[in-house]
Amino acid sequence: MVRPVHFICISAIVLGLAGGCGPSRISSPSADDAAAQQLRVMLGSTAASGNSSGDLTSAESTGTGWGSLSGRFVFTGTPPETKALVIDKDTEICSKDGRKSLDRSLLVDSSTKGLANVVLFVRKVSRVKEPSETVAASAAVFDQKWCEFLSPVFSAKVGQAVDVRNSDPIGHNTNISGSSFNQLIPAGQGTTYTPDRETGMPSMVICNIHPWMKAYVLFRKDGYAAISGTDGSFRIQNLPAEELLEFQVWHERSTGPNGSLGLEKPELKWTKKGRFQIKLVPDEEKNLGDIEVPAGVLGG
Amino acid sequence: MTPLLKSPRGSDRHGFKKTHSWVVFCTLLGCFFVSSGCNKTPPASFRSNMIEATKQRLSQSQEKQVATVLLAMFGTPDNPVVLAETGLDLEKLTLCAGPVRSDIVGRKNGLYREHCAHCHGITGDAMGPTAAFLNPYPRDYRPGVFKFKSTERVEKPTHVDLVRILHNGIAGTSMPSFALLSETQIDALAEYVKYLSIRGETELSLMRAFFELDDDAKGILPETREFLIGEMLLPASEKWLAAKESQIPVPLISEGVDLVESIAKGKALFYGDKANCVKCHGVTGLGDGQANDYDDWNKPIVEIDKELRGTRERIKVTATASMSPEELAEHVALQDWVTKLSQVLDGDSLKPRTVVPRNLRHGVYRGGRRPLDLYYRIYAGINGAPMPAAKGAVSPEDIWHIVNYVRSLPYEFDGELGADRPLIARERF
Ligand code: HEC
Ligand code: HEC
Repeated sequence: MVRPVHFICISAIVLGLAGGCGPSRISSPSADDAAAQQLRVMLGSTAASGNSSGDLTSAESTGTGWGSLSGRFVFTGTPPETKALVIDKDTEICSKDGRKSLDRSLLVDSSTKGLANVVLFVRKVSRVKEPSETVAASAAVFDQKWCEFLSPVFSAKVGQAVDVRNSDPIGHNTNISGSSFNQLIPAGQGTTYTPDRETGMPSMVICNIHPWMKAYVLFRKDGYAAISGTDGSFRIQNLPAEELLEFQVWHERSTGPNGSLGLEKPELKWTKKGRFQIKLVPDEEKNLGDIEVPAGVLGG
Repeated sequence: MTPLLKSPRGSDRHGFKKTHSWVVFCTLLGCFFVSSGCNKTPPASFRSNMIEATKQRLSQSQEKQVATVLLAMFGTPDNPVVLAETGLDLEKLTLCAGPVRSDIVGRKNGLYREHCAHCHGITGDAMGPTAAFLNPYPRDYRPGVFKFKSTERVEKPTHVDLVRILHNGIAGTSMPSFALLSETQIDALAEYVKYLSIRGETELSLMRAFFELDDDAKGILPETREFLIGEMLLPASEKWLAAKESQIPVPLISEGVDLVESIAKGKALFYGDKANCVKCHGVTGLGDGQANDYDDWNKPIVEIDKELRGTRERIKVTATASMSPEELAEHVALQDWVTKLSQVLDGDSLKPRTVVPRNLRHGVYRGGRRPLDLYYRIYAGINGAPMPAAKGAVSPEDIWHIVNYVRSLPYEFDGELGADRPLIARERF
């Protein structure tokens, strides 16, 4: 006969055995105590240390003159079928006249195989051509219509006023992840957003009211950024010549760390982090030609 | 056998006494297993942000470098240190740090571990033992994002905001009021929250900085004051010092406004396409508009989980037979990363929970129920949550009208919802 007390005894033992060690968590790395002590002394002293700057990337100014870089991203796999997004709200506006909103995360031009919306920017430059010449004359407009952000990928300069518009007759909210910017944009109105710091890589923008809406924004101090067009082509002008420029390449579907597009391009020393280096001579118009992007580096 | 202990009351009912010794014996045996199961308790330590470390694919030596820098800058949970740049008050931190004990003058120490750690975790990562059972989960201080404050959306809360939260608790959640603690203790705890938050944000910056390194840096962060303090610490700590200057301006509501009129105006705005409240809070105000969204703490977990599953799928269909040695090594590294990530997600995150727009018919407001609190919430939205800022889109006067309408909602009953109102409420919760 099993008496309650046996049950209690067995439970106690079982509990003891089971509860002995907590759920296995991967162990947290331990610090180097001696190194930390030394570092603490250095951090606490007010004397400037060493000569290296606080910047992680360095660009040494060496020359004069300007050049440009262009090229074209070409998808070498079978272009996937573009899916329509599920629109389950405000359909009288968002799906007006049977309009369909498409998944724009992998857009391949059927005739040229061009890969759109690849982002390319310079990591660091020592000098910038007069702002008036690098920033497009028109103000930066980030608009939404038919419950879609009109620019799937958008770039602006840090400090540049971005006109966040809503051309729909219904309200939206624009939420830039990682920035704490999340603003109601009433029907037919707009607001101004002035980015105050660089985004390392493009940040996602969403509308919480219409969760299928998605775009990416990139803010750079120097404005040396390009987004490939429908045919996959890109061009960055007025780049400083005679210095080693390192470019960062990104695509929404890329499987590399933080969305970086790593390609096999030894001639450009293209890295796993999606970076390559180039030095231009003054007035050079460098064209990289077709840059092939195999299906394998783009995920689902 | 002789009983190990005599029952104090000598109770003999239901044969309890006979088996009493058995109970004690087994309990002791159980206790023995419990205590002998693991090594001796090590001194409390901060846990690294393993999710971010894994997401950034840091190597072990990189993880160690971050832990070392943080130890130098912030010390340990038992022995905090602060750099002057943070503006933190070490004396207050000392009152909160360490195990619960009394100091030489009989003052209570270890306040954080006594009152907060079981929910918010020793590290402030919201992974305390109680956390998994709560909805919403406790705040993870490490991203440096706080919801209920009197400052502009992107800014930190003021010290007074934190003190108010600790004093009042957060109604409608498990975050309790600490009104029974002394002012000095609450003040110290608010300081400790800042300390953990600055530490956590610095850690995130450090972990993300590896990706930004030039290739010739060989994956090691520069250990200079310019970099560690100027680029990593200050961006996290400066905003706390500036919070006081970024308070939301609140114009007083105009004299002589008729409340009934104001509520009517607020209602029109609430349902209109200018303020758009209805889109999330629903036509009933029950919060059933847009209810499948995540906040800024849960969303990254949802996303990294998606990446994990995507990568697993890709690995499964990759043919390894024709791979070169380098490709194979890379493939194996990716497999290891997937294993590590799934372990980290198991041990260092909780199952993501959706954030539901507030049911405005309850009249329970987490950020405080003064009209002023509601003004702040509507003006700046709720940082970290999907609720957007009405600032700029809706005039201050109109925000006041909406506040009045929101405050009337728990009492509004004009028959529109019919007799099924309580039923809907019950079905939802
Ligand atoms: C029983 C669990 C529990 C305990 C104990 C607890 N908290 Fe919380 N705390 C919570 C929860 C849950 C939230 C999140 C509420 C939300 O998101 O709406 C929270 C949120 C917070 C916030 C964020 C407020 C904001 O504006 O975002 C702070 C700060 C905070 N707690 C500090 C503390 C401190 C300090 C202590 C100890 C004195 C403590 N908490 C004890 C559960 C707890
Ligand atoms: C995009 C969706 C969305 C919109 C639009 C929205 N809210 Fe919210 N609201 C939320 C969510 C989600 C929460 C809960 C946040 C949390 O718990 O952290 C919330 C919370 C609230 C709260 C509770 C605050 C507290 O202290 O507990 C109030 C009041 C509120 N909203 C009013 C409004 C008003 C008024 C509007 C229109 C001006 C509005 N909301 C627009 C999503 C939204």
